[in-house]
Amino acid sequence: MIALRPVIGGRELANVVGVASGTFGYGSEYERHLDLSGIGALYTKAVTMHPRPGNDVPRIVETPAGLLNSIGLANVGRERFVVEKLPGFASMPCAVIANVAADFPEEYAEVVAYLDANDPTGALWGYEINVSCPNVKAGGVALGSNASEVERTTRLVRTATDRPLIVKLTPNVTDITQIARAAEAGGADAVSCINTVVGMVIDTARRRPVLPAGTGGLSGPAILPIGVAAVYRVSRAVSIPVIGMGGIMTTDDAIQYLMAGASAIQVGTANFVDPRIATRMAAEIERFAIDAGVDSIEGFHSLLEPSG
Amino acid sequence: MPLFTARVLANQEVAHDYYQLDFSWISDAPRPVPGQFLTVRVGSSGVPLLRRPFAFSDAAGERASMIYWRRGDATRAIAGYQPGDAIDVMGPLGVAFPEPTDGAVPVLIAGGVGVGPILFLANALAARAPYPILLIGARSAQGLPRVRVDGRVQLRTATDDGSAGYAGTVIDLLDRTLDITAGDVELYLCGPNPMLRAGHDLAARHGIPAWVSMEQTMGCAVGACMGCAIHLTGVERYARVCTEGPVFRSTDVDWERL
Repeated sequence: MIALRPVIGGRELANVVGVASGTFGYGSEYERHLDLSGIGALYTKAVTMHPRPGNDVPRIVETPAGLLNSIGLANVGRERFVVEKLPGFASMPCAVIANVAADFPEEYAEVVAYLDANDPTGALWGYEINVSCPNVKAGGVALGSNASEVERTTRLVRTATDRPLIVKLTPNVTDITQIARAAEAGGADAVSCINTVVGMVIDTARRRPVLPAGTGGLSGPAILPIGVAAVYRVSRAVSIPVIGMGGIMTTDDAIQYLMAGASAIQVGTANFVDPRIATRMAAEIERFAIDAGVDSIEGFHSLLEPSG
Repeated sequence: MPLFTARVLANQEVAHDYYQLDFSWISDAPRPVPGQFLTVRVGSSGVPLLRRPFAFSDAAGERASMIYWRRGDATRAIAGYQPGDAIDVMGPLGVAFPEPTDGAVPVLIAGGVGVGPILFLANALAARAPYPILLIGARSAQGLPRVRVDGRVQLRTATDDGSAGYAGTVIDLLDRTLDITAGDVELYLCGPNPMLRAGHDLAARHGIPAWVSMEQTMGCAVGACMGCAIHLTGVERYARVCTEGPVFRSTDVDWERL
């Protein structure tokens, strides 16, 4: 039995498969019906300074092999998060990582400091800083596409917590490696990539975009190659672990990310199709490793033959 | 949110482009009740990607049914299912239609694909008096489903083109032929949004309670993704159709912003 345990900021996760923020709620939606102990990490729905109602409706539309969403970070806000959600995390059989979103750098740090201060028992394993949401006016992509702002945000959050700190990157930039290096310079323990890809669907009969916001974030198998390429490039640009995500539906998809250089992966949209998928994938990845003679996460990276 | 593999028992066209799928229901899953829905995974590739939600049209013993409209790739695929085929189902999900208050006559109104959950409710409410009145509307006679309706249910139909039953919308049928102000009445509606809204307007005008089953594109179907929101009146601006619905009190829905 081999154990593929990603180490981020000096802490170990049980396995390489996480469930992505926004696709698994706070875990409680699934807890009664599924055994979550096989999940490596549960990334919560983003938590913000104040409650947010979310964007106008409809918020999602299916595209060829994809899902375009504009949820708008609908969430209960940091105070209700602490009161209503945090107690449940303590008893959850998997690591829970709070995904944090904000309008500006100082606010990210303030939310993280608040969560840290209100979680003395350490129910939260760490934080994932969302500087990549394509569906909000402030923070999100606007911030995450600016390397110096990403570095500053990461540094501010770094001073607010000693727990593992992951910065979630957007693919909607000219050079994602620049942003990744900025996060690393700011003190991130890992980067996760990719968040959704900006997209639009037009209802030609109504002659307007289906989503009232116009654009949304594309996820699902349609974006798999975009994510794999991002991880391939980012993992060669930074020395911190890279968490790969975007369009993972099958174990083979996950292994593509691991071979590309990811130290862990996240399953997102696939949870909607099959909420049991993360647990099954973790077991299948381990089986693949045994068959391939891989006994560490780095072993996956070296499986990839040089191209060209 | 039980998730399991069911077996197709029957799959038959009940009206033009409307089908009823009967499938096995495992005994240790909760028994579906009228208003609740399930999701079905269609195929195993990325197209179609998301599970599709369908309201239950019946459930008894180790058997459940849904009525669906064949209109896109996913429902076309489902229309091809044969008895014995395995289907990946998740449910029962969502909140049920509430019971009518004691003595109130339930008036049930279905349009188009909304017939499934309304039929389920009609047959359930037929167990005791006052027996329900069921109004079913379709574009034309060939859109009216050939389905089992309990003999105690008073059934009336309407078609837009007048080819069967009352000539006009099902809401016209309600407004013109039933005196809903005469006694204690509660409305239950499922169908296209314009029909629901017309039903709500009528109910609101007469101060009659109305329950509507709403539709919205769904992501997770269990309350996690916030994707299937609709606008509400009042303080909470949005509600998730999958978990706070699909059944809502009609006065809670913001009909101006659907």
